[in-house]
Amino acid sequence: MNSGEYWNPVLETLPREKLQQLQLKKFKSILKWAYENSPFYRSLYKGAGLEPGDIKTLDDITKVPKTEKAMLREAQGKEPYPYGSILSVPIEQVTEYRQTSGTTGQPVYHPETWQDWDWSAESWAYALYAQGYRDYDRVFLPFGYSVNIAFWAGHYAAEKIGCEVVPGGVLDTEARILKMKELKATALMATPTYILGMADTARKKLGLDPAKDLNIKKITAAGEPGACIPATKKRMEEMWGAKVYDQIGATEIGHWGFECQAQAGLHILEAFHLVEIEDIETGATITEPGKKGSMVITTFDRFAHPCIRFDSKDVIEWNPVEKCECGRTFRRLKGGVVGRADDITKVKGVLLAPTAIEEVVRSIPELGDEYEVTVTKKGDIDDITLKMEIAPDFKGNIEAVEPKLVQQLRLKTGLRYNLEFHDYGTLPRYGVKAKRFKDLRHKE
Amino acid sequence: MGKYKIEDMAKKIELLKQTATELKRISGGIQAVDCNVDRILASIKMLEINISDLVGTI
Repeated sequence: MNSGEYWNPVLETLPREKLQQLQLKKFKSILKWAYENSPFYRSLYKGAGLEPGDIKTLDDITKVPKTEKAMLREAQGKEPYPYGSILSVPIEQVTEYRQTSGTTGQPVYHPETWQDWDWSAESWAYALYAQGYRDYDRVFLPFGYSVNIAFWAGHYAAEKIGCEVVPGGVLDTEARILKMKELKATALMATPTYILGMADTARKKLGLDPAKDLNIKKITAAGEPGACIPATKKRMEEMWGAKVYDQIGATEIGHWGFECQAQAGLHILEAFHLVEIEDIETGATITEPGKKGSMVITTFDRFAHPCIRFDSKDVIEWNPVEKCECGRTFRRLKGGVVGRADDITKVKGVLLAPTAIEEVVRSIPELGDEYEVTVTKKGDIDDITLKMEIAPDFKGNIEAVEPKLVQQLRLKTGLRYNLEFHDYGTLPRYGVKAKRFKDLRHKE
Repeated sequence: MGKYKIEDMAKKIELLKQTATELKRISGGIQAVDCNVDRILASIKMLEINISDLVGTI
């Protein structure tokens, strides 16, 4: 690859040992900043007997206490209102308010200074450029421009690259599709659920085939697993006739991972973050491929609301192949984020990741995109029901699909399910973050 | 990495930063200057992240 293929050819191809030197330097810097400017972090570190100067090598980093979402929630709602003691700059410097989606509870408030916001756009620019966004692209953003971070930074990153950005905010789905068609938009950013939903609306309500009637060439999918699940990615790419790239971030963390045009795993944006993987049960650090664990992440150079050794609960695994054909030296994850430690739960004694079910359902063409998994308890025994929709154009006997489905579910998850087939369009639809996995065992 | 003049670029970035900071110092509190300088300084920080922070590492 030549330098024209990278947003920053120096950082993106830095030899690993140099990259790690840079990460250590930046980790020390943000740790010192947080200690000196955030009462929350100072109290946390003093309580653990840690001074910033104690961190001398990357191995020392595990001495630094972890943070998690519940701690951020606890610290907020106080002065400086509403961010509380994590805020590490004078509140007058805050220029944007954001909050998490609240999928897992009370939203976390997030302050952005103008500099931190520029950081967000910068970090997204690395991803979009790697996915082929250029100044000749017309990029459509069909999301509700609101308090959630969603694709806001994607908007500004596309602008930074020089793309022409079309904000499809308050339009409804049909109007968005028609606007993309009218303007011959070439790129799109949305959640996997909405990417599938828009294609469905285009076909059913507008009589349009997005792959033929629209001009979208690349799609950045974020906000949920989906583009990292091969069967879901395949469905999206076929429906739109476009390349679909996985992209991941979180309000508290910022954007931290992206798929490049090689589509061979999720690159971690290591010039902006340090990612550690911990064993979900033992907490031991996982450094080699072959085992999934929970991500602990530190964000560099984002100062208003530092994110240091944040236990994100995202379940990830190192990619077994070190080098990507794109030439970037940023390490990759195998299959992106495969689930959340919160969602990975023991059912009938087996660790179950809902994404494995999605991979099976969406690999079977006779089934629609939507599904729902419900775990209940009957006496002492766990019971799992998988509801699916029959694909709209399937006219055969759905029971003939059952043996293949049972076998694939057994193979991928090691479990048996009560299977329910429903008519197309009868299961709930989600606009942004889908909740297709329902564990009702604790509520009964 | 030899084809990129990292240290030379870092010096220019530092010069930009000094110029912007000096502009703010002499602005007399004109908000139209101060607030736009703040935005310039944010962009300069992005240049530091992309280039200057590499000095001494590569």
